[in-house]
Amino acid sequence: MTWEVIARQDWSVTVETRSAKVLLGVLVSVVLLAGYIYPVAAPEPITTARFSSFAMGGLTMIVPFVGMLLSYGAVVDERESGSILLSLSLPHSRRDVVIGKYLSRTGLVTAATVGSMLGAGALVVYPFGELVLGRFLVFLGLTVLFVVVWSGLGLAVSLAAATRRRALVLGFGLVFLFVIVWEAVVDALTLGLNAAGLVDGELPGAVQFLVGLEPSLVFERATTGFVLPGESVAGPWYLGEWVALLVLVCWAVGPLGLAFLRFDGSDLS
Amino acid sequence: MVAIDADAVSKRYGTETALDRVDLDVEEGETFGFLGPNGAGKSTFINVLLDFVTPSQGTVEIFGHDCQREGVAARDRIGVLPEGYSVFDRLTGRQHIEYAIRSKDADDDPIDVLDRVGIREAADRKATGYSKGMAQRLVLGMALVGDPDLLVLDEPSTGLDPNGAAEMRQILREENERGATIFFSSHILEQVEAVCDRVGILQNGELVAVDTIEGLRQSMGGGTKLVITVDGLQNGTVERIRGVEGVETAVADEDSTIEVTCTNDAKMDVVVELHGAGVDVVNFRTEEASLEDMFIEYTGPRR
Repeated sequence: MTWEVIARQDWSVTVETRSAKVLLGVLVSVVLLAGYIYPVAAPEPITTARFSSFAMGGLTMIVPFVGMLLSYGAVVDERESGSILLSLSLPHSRRDVVIGKYLSRTGLVTAATVGSMLGAGALVVYPFGELVLGRFLVFLGLTVLFVVVWSGLGLAVSLAAATRRRALVLGFGLVFLFVIVWEAVVDALTLGLNAAGLVDGELPGAVQFLVGLEPSLVFERATTGFVLPGESVAGPWYLGEWVALLVLVCWAVGPLGLAFLRFDGSDLS
Repeated sequence: MVAIDADAVSKRYGTETALDRVDLDVEEGETFGFLGPNGAGKSTFINVLLDFVTPSQGTVEIFGHDCQREGVAARDRIGVLPEGYSVFDRLTGRQHIEYAIRSKDADDDPIDVLDRVGIREAADRKATGYSKGMAQRLVLGMALVGDPDLLVLDEPSTGLDPNGAAEMRQILREENERGATIFFSSHILEQVEAVCDRVGILQNGELVAVDTIEGLRQSMGGGTKLVITVDGLQNGTVERIRGVEGVETAVADEDSTIEVTCTNDAKMDVVVELHGAGVDVVNFRTEEASLEDMFIEYTGPRR
């Protein structure tokens, strides 16, 4: 296993790039800003547990962009230029290359997330707030998982596409679909079905589950169920937090696994 | 032990056949030249060796390790100069060599390696600013790291000036003397002739000949080429010569010159045949077939 060599090299090169600095800087700023504003803007009580629902909006907006943009070029750039051939001429397997890249890119965005979340937590606690350590750590863990999902989707795109252009289109397509249009489509669907008289009020549970598979919504359900005090997720068991956690894990490994199989079987030149 | 053992390797892209049942053994310690015109499938074969490409049929082993199923083990003791690579963005020459050293778990000194391939003074410059020839030297340096048992080089002299190509050949000789097996592809004949023990000629994906250079000459009718100047060619003269036993090729060069490759014994028969056809021989000389003639013979359009 030589992924460590790849991971170290990719990390040291990537942190030096301007795009990574900007992306991670934006992520850190958004999280810290949330921690700064929350105690001022939100109603009492100010706790690190209730901070999670406040931070959710910013996180579900910024993490997909940063995770995707930081990872989508990881493999396809080297594949397009041909420098991946130098790595694969050495005694590295394709799996080593992918694991190394994955650890490096995911590690970068995870480190930025954890660091800024801890900073934000401190801003929430001092001077007015209350530290609810257990729930805050659970929230931190879920946020890292959400980050891993999007970083993994970025790498999956990088593995599945043969050119940088296609990876960019595919990656932005995913972010656009999930972050920008998904909710509007779900709302339109609800309105339409209501107008047609097929449903009354909410969507049926099974449909809610399907439209709720989108990573941000799953992340929100899991956070609501695990972290928010005194709240539980209403509805049938499959809309609960444990299923949400499971779905989130599937998002983290599924697309990447499929994309790896495709990459592993394809000719590189 | 066999360094490279290819068994009926084929590669098809759609209906295009890039490699057609290539069988090849490269013995440990030899320098093997893989020769063929552009597009003959040399790079495809090397890409199969390196598992960049999966063969449609057949298997290749390097030192007994299957290149597809045990790719890492197969590449563990080799140094590679692939085709179609580019250097890494943002890394200096020295960092490239260091990367190869860490990847191979070797303990070479990066500066020694760069010195050997002649780009020591560019060690701390970004490799993306290197010329093609310097990049080629750099990647050769990466290949040399860790004293590999086999060097696989795809068109190693690409981008090198004549001096650079000579230095490259010198390094290959040194590596071979150290005990390394060398497998390299080229479409340039002088290089192959200068360093190779054996040569394989690839044409349209088929391995049409594998032999020593001497052996290729032998099989080419004792390496004899006749250049005959006559007083005037008539219709059918060339065809009559082709009909002589022992003649391999006969080509009318200009109005009054015929080039014939044939066995040694057939020389006189050719002249006799010309005489019989009523053609006067004005001049007559023999040449030893060069590798270039053989190359054209094997890979050129069928006569």
